[in-house]
Amino acid sequence: MTETSRLLEQAAQITTPWGKSFTAPEANRLDVVIDANDLPAAAAALNAACWGYLAAITGLDRGADDGRIEALYHFCAGAAVAALRVTTPRAEARLPSICAAYPSASIFERELSEMLGVTFVGTPDVTPLFLPEDWSPDAYPLRKDIDLSQPNTVPVRPPPTNGENGKHFIIPIGPQHPALKEPGHFEFSVAGETVIGATVRLGYAHRGIEKAVEQRNWVQDLYLLERICGICSHIHATAYCLGVEKLAEVTVPPRAETIRTLFAELERLHSHMLWLGVAAHEAGFDTLFMAAWRDRETVMDLLEQISGNRVHYSVNVLGGVKFDLEPQHIDALLNGAAFIEERARYYFDLVNHDPLFNRRTRGVGVMTAEQAETIGVVGPTARGSGIVRDVRVEAPYLAYTRCPVEPIVETDGDLAARFSVRIRELLESCRLIRVLLETLPEGALQTRMPRRIRAGEAISRVEAPRGELFYFVKSGGGEMPERIHARTPTLCNLASALILSIGRPLADIPMILVGVDPCFSCNDRTATIHTADGSAEDETWTWERLRRYGIEATR
Amino acid sequence: MNTLNLPERWRDAVETVKRWSRINSPWALHFNSGSCNGCDIELLATLTPRFDLERLGVKLQASPRQADILICTGPVTRLARERLLRVYEQMPSPKYVIALGACAVSGGVFQGCYNVVGRVDAVLPVDVYVPGCPPRPEAIIDGMVKLLAQLQAGEKEKPG
Ligand code: SF4
Repeated sequence: MTETSRLLEQAAQITTPWGKSFTAPEANRLDVVIDANDLPAAAAALNAACWGYLAAITGLDRGADDGRIEALYHFCAGAAVAALRVTTPRAEARLPSICAAYPSASIFERELSEMLGVTFVGTPDVTPLFLPEDWSPDAYPLRKDIDLSQPNTVPVRPPPTNGENGKHFIIPIGPQHPALKEPGHFEFSVAGETVIGATVRLGYAHRGIEKAVEQRNWVQDLYLLERICGICSHIHATAYCLGVEKLAEVTVPPRAETIRTLFAELERLHSHMLWLGVAAHEAGFDTLFMAAWRDRETVMDLLEQISGNRVHYSVNVLGGVKFDLEPQHIDALLNGAAFIEERARYYFDLVNHDPLFNRRTRGVGVMTAEQAETIGVVGPTARGSGIVRDVRVEAPYLAYTRCPVEPIVETDGDLAARFSVRIRELLESCRLIRVLLETLPEGALQTRMPRRIRAGEAISRVEAPRGELFYFVKSGGGEMPERIHARTPTLCNLASALILSIGRPLADIPMILVGVDPCFSCNDRTATIHTADGSAEDETWTWERLRRYGIEATR
Repeated sequence: MNTLNLPERWRDAVETVKRWSRINSPWALHFNSGSCNGCDIELLATLTPRFDLERLGVKLQASPRQADILICTGPVTRLARERLLRVYEQMPSPKYVIALGACAVSGGVFQGCYNVVGRVDAVLPVDVYVPGCPPRPEAIIDGMVKLLAQLQAGEKEKPG
């Protein structure tokens, strides 16, 4: 019996008291249908048995005829995915919260309640996460019958409060931060110097892609999903393709698999170097920022040379890849990898030995392995805390099945560990690129795909630069997908930044936030600082002011 | 500087100096109104050593109150619309807007999404459009140069 089937058997055993039916929709998966009221008990049992972690909650509207909303609670352990499936009537959708067992569920529950109109009983936070304040409270974007030709607005709902002292905050537009990415808005409560509460509001870059994919066909969706994120566009497309190809029962030629994997590693290189630069900037180390971005251009050149584009390289098509590797590309890749390796060694030395820099990273934002497990973090954030959580290792896909990855793990759990993990991953990616090129199979680049994708559900998990990317693809057999749910790694890691901020001096906050490499951050991250005891006026700080404060406080 | 109280012959000189300095050191503010980050990382790459936009005197500046140019990326989402307008209002005149990337120019792939208001010029007057998904750093530099050339030629003089 393989490890995965042992895990699935164990999951079935744990959930036996509540399970009404047990099915295996595809390899490595187990679906357990339970009653909605048993949800907290079943989740608590999985948690007590330390069976995996909560990867995502997918909500499905089964339509007016069926009259039900279905929620899938996906738990992952190694390559095994167990889902608890519950349904609730559409007219009065109501589910019990599982935050008692899994605090990380809070963000998923917030998402589900505003997107599908499910009321979660006992969930700690009910403020909107993605939708604007003036969004109509009874229009749910992911319900099938929503009329999107209407603006669906109402007079502004009261702005969310921080819950600490019940005050309302209006967030002025702060100075914009030069260092990139998608906007998010944080609120921190402080007592003196110490942070005692933190919340987040997303949605400034929420475009409603998960709805839009239901209105476009399978091919168009590929290009839309690539544009969820410009930093990790390839991995989004890969996750989508893997899901759809599974549904269509199409096998991708081995050469295409290797090319996909190769681009995924190039993407990791450019993303980690981008992060290194931004993180160094937050610490006030602008020389490293510029150096990292200068060296990153080497990777951008490689991407461009092969694909013709620097950012949305769009390598994937359903059934394979668009571009082949020519001999001159292989030489360029080998030279590029050698250069990045040399630079990565230099950065590693730098971030570990620069005394000033170490004062911003050593012992800051410490997350123990147990904490990381409970919060459910993924990717380098988890690996910095000694947890081997890497989909490439646990559930290898594409060419990773042929070229195994050495997981990079550090045990200190602080920011310095997260720096080390990411820089060492640069080295590992360079090694992988060499191995992939050595073992590059010959053959075709694409397999023909059917126009229509047969009805069914598929899950694909891939390792994005920031951690596990989880896709749920459902087809109703038509030309368009019925539902695509993408759970990005940042959604999992975000909670950790908020939790780790508590009890830390305000000056550490910029580094703690940037330490999880949030893929939304910056740009106009204004932070509201308010004192908990009301002793001082509430203040709204700009991100820039907070950053400077952090740099000066640790001089 | 209020030029009105100056003697006639000084006014032209002051205007010339102001225009000269604006063209030689325009400060830009970057605002992401819902982009996928693709445009943002390319804009940032434009500022780093390989492309070095700062050699044209362009400085990316964190405060709207000191900015001459607003660089917008992404389609405008409903939540970001209000903020975009407020940022624009906080900028001192004369002010210029660059729409960066297919999304900012036309709404791009996100046209018709429920949380998207539309392209940037549905919200603000735009002076320069830089297409591309995302535009290459060279294209961004070119857009900037075109804007500065317009300022030089006096085509874009706005009441200051
Ligand atoms: S133009 Fe392209 S790269 Fe730029 S924000 Fe839109 S989708 Fe992203």
